Amino acid sequence: MILATDLDPRAKLFFVLVISSLAVFLQNTFLLLLVFIVCLGAVAATGGSLGNMLKKFRKFFGIFIAVVLLQSIFTQQGQAILQLGDITLLTDFGLIRGMQTILRFLIIIASALVMTTSNSREIIQGLVQWKIPFEIAFMVSIAIRFLPLLREEATDMLTAIQLRGVNLKKIPLLKRIKMYSYLLLPLISSVMVKAQELSVAMEMRAFRAYPQRTSLRVLQLGRADYLVMVLCTLFFLTVMVLYLMLI
Amino acid sequence: MNNPIEVNDLSYQYENNSPVLLKKVNLTVSKGEILAIVGLSGIGKSTLCYCLSGIIPHVYGGVMAGDVLLNGTNTKKMTLPQIATTLGIVFQNPDNQLFSPSVEDEIAFGPENLCVPQGEIKTRINEVLATVGMESFRHAGPHHLSGGQKQLIALASVLSLKPDIIIYDEAMSQIDAAGKVMIKEMLLKLKSEGKTAVMVEHDFDNLDIADRVMMLKNGTLVPYEGALT
Repeated sequence: MILATDLDPRAKLFFVLVISSLAVFLQNTFLLLLVFIVCLGAVAATGGSLGNMLKKFRKFFGIFIAVVLLQSIFTQQGQAILQLGDITLLTDFGLIRGMQTILRFLIIIASALVMTTSNSREIIQGLVQWKIPFEIAFMVSIAIRFLPLLREEATDMLTAIQLRGVNLKKIPLLKRIKMYSYLLLPLISSVMVKAQELSVAMEMRAFRAYPQRTSLRVLQLGRADYLVMVLCTLFFLTVMVLYLMLI
Repeated sequence: MNNPIEVNDLSYQYENNSPVLLKKVNLTVSKGEILAIVGLSGIGKSTLCYCLSGIIPHVYGGVMAGDVLLNGTNTKKMTLPQIATTLGIVFQNPDNQLFSPSVEDEIAFGPENLCVPQGEIKTRINEVLATVGMESFRHAGPHHLSGGQKQLIALASVLSLKPDIIIYDEAMSQIDAAGKVMIKEMLLKLKSEGKTAVMVEHDFDNLDIADRVMMLKNGTLVPYEGALT
């Protein structure tokens, strides 16, 4: 068994790229289902936890239902399955489109979970060795790194509002939205301060001192990485051939 | 021989029409000295740190007059990478200066930017981790450490650039008593190695390790004589 943690981040990125491209490109439910199953298999085979994945999917359950309904309401094709007066709530065509959209979501989320087995520095290094400028790779990593901090900041502000006697759960929706808008300015201001402090700290550690930089880590693709990339390419070609034959 | 820090008639205001925060400040810090700077909140202590470390005028604009010399060289004539290898600064909030997934990556960031060869980076990581006594945390995530440990890693990441001068901008303000002891012991250890330190402080309990205490008052530095006002 090849563990995902042992793979080079570039091999994982290649896998995500192939699987996500198929998810976006394919318009066939069975092929999308096939890609999803292969994706789940790959995640399980590389040591990923299917249980954790299912927990993550559960969070999106409400969104999935909404997607199927919206697809049905706004897609006029197909036979009606569920009607409310003159309004068609569910059609067979809408249901299929909705399922395809959900499968796309699931495939992209499942494939991206493979990347969580690499730390951000390894991913940056992988991108840099793929000739992507360090600044861009680093910027993406910093954005991901600071997202939880922003959430913490927003939570703290909400707590501060509640401690002043405002019960957010009991006030009407419009008032609640207005209350959230009060958070916007301090949140943006806090983000700007954080960004400025971070940039100064980086500048004082010689960030962008020279056009090139050395690296503590240098990634090297191994046999397993090449094998993963070859298998991904073969899978991509096979699915595309099948898809072209089916349309 | 030049002093590590010399400040001559330094004046500064953030904008033309904003208050003048620093008014003809003069200061000399000797090699191996620990200088503490105290003052009321909002008086300009951090601004003085920014001037000493070249962040002003290289990163922040504003109206700056006078000179700051690091080992005899004017900061205006130095580039930030040159300053970074001469002077390191540890800021108040460790969360906004640690951004790597592991401690060793954090320490390697500076030397990597200066194109230090891979082998030398590894040596420096070993050295600075031993200096701050955090060898066992090499692969830990900096954000899972305590406040004091985070500040030690921030210090280690600055030390990996081998600066002669270290500035602490209220670096002990967000850490507990044990963390303060760790940082103070570290400062004394670095002093014994010949490093010069300037610490900006508001907590008087932390001043016991300073060789000299100056107070920033009305934009100028005066010797501290036991009262802030």
